[in-house]
Amino acid sequence: MTRYFCLLTLVAAATVHAEGDAPQAAQNETDLSARSKALELAGAFSNDGYKIRDGYWSGEIETDRPQFLEVNLFAGNEYWFSAAATPPARKIAVAVFDEKGKPVDFQTYEDGPVAAAGFAPEVSGRYFVKLTALEGGKSQFCLLYSYK
Amino acid sequence: MTRTRQWFFAALSVMATGGLWAAESAMTPEQLGAVVKVESLTIPMPGEFFAAISKQGRPAWKTLVRVGTPQTTSSRAQIALALGTLVADGYIAVEAQDSAAVKNIGKEIIGLAKKLNVSESVLGRGRSLNDFAENNDWNALREELEATQNEVKLDMEEQKDQSLVTLVTVGAWIRGTDIVSGLVAAGYTPESARLLRQPAIIEYLLSKLAELPKGMQKDELVGTVRSSLEKALTLVKEETPSEEKVKELHQTMAAVVNDIAKGPQDS
Repeated sequence: MTRYFCLLTLVAAATVHAEGDAPQAAQNETDLSARSKALELAGAFSNDGYKIRDGYWSGEIETDRPQFLEVNLFAGNEYWFSAAATPPARKIAVAVFDEKGKPVDFQTYEDGPVAAAGFAPEVSGRYFVKLTALEGGKSQFCLLYSYK
Repeated sequence: MTRTRQWFFAALSVMATGGLWAAESAMTPEQLGAVVKVESLTIPMPGEFFAAISKQGRPAWKTLVRVGTPQTTSSRAQIALALGTLVADGYIAVEAQDSAAVKNIGKEIIGLAKKLNVSESVLGRGRSLNDFAENNDWNALREELEATQNEVKLDMEEQKDQSLVTLVTVGAWIRGTDIVSGLVAAGYTPESARLLRQPAIIEYLLSKLAELPKGMQKDELVGTVRSSLEKALTLVKEETPSEEKVKELHQTMAAVVNDIAKGPQDS
């Protein structure tokens, strides 16, 4: 609940800011849209007991130029990495790799510009989450993760 | 693998999925060199650590709630480190479902944050912690503790106090590791010891400490923290740290938590 309140506050702040700086406001709205969609997806996992981390990774992504985020995970926990991108992105994908850069066994969810990867590590340590834009042009993205 | 598949299939029932075990090629050396680190995601919160250890057998969290508050001095480094340890203590109190302890720890976090001149906006977080504790809303409290820590850090960043942000992160990690290594040492199993394998986190924290201003790096307590992390790094590199190494890790972390709580001693 507090998370959505914060999001509403951010939307309000972006709206106020728009009066003085239209391009920056448009950028903020794009960021918020990606974050809102990623939160919506992660929220589905909350119903299954997953807790959403407060932090998020956002930025710009281009087709066929994947980006990687380092995370440190614990054996025994279960994780979902949820991401969303704004138009013109039409399709994105999320994948998980071990600390040597080899792909691990993970579950995928893909629905156009929204995607997630589910992973239950058997060894604690460093992993990498890959975000790829498969279709569409340069876009804003947001990725966050949940655990239980 | 069986349990892994079970929860995947449970998730499948909740939502349509794209498929199992997607095919991916290995990362290239260039990709490994261009990995992004975002502190609020790359460094796990104590709650994540505690969730993992709870699956090895429910710890007696109530006995782990720290009694007594860290003494604070005029050292901003010590206050920031103590604030970080208190965030971890907040998670312990939540795991113990001890609402009185959560309220007290929330007050102490806000009290220390005020000493570091964070803005009034953080005070609202203190009220939220209090309200959630009053209603025994433990899941909301876990999220609120992380949000409180992030808001304090954001405020510090806005005030160009990045060094304090680093010390809050370090303090929280040290106290979390103190608790988990103590639990593992008390009932050692190879499976639980594997939770302590976190060399990448320690290397990251050491790299952030190396970026502190020279004056702060000369701080005696910061020096103690750095040498404790360097020692910890040698103890958690193996996939399964031995019982001896877990005990040594716990002694090292408990000692530095005590040093943070005491603060620099005036001569």
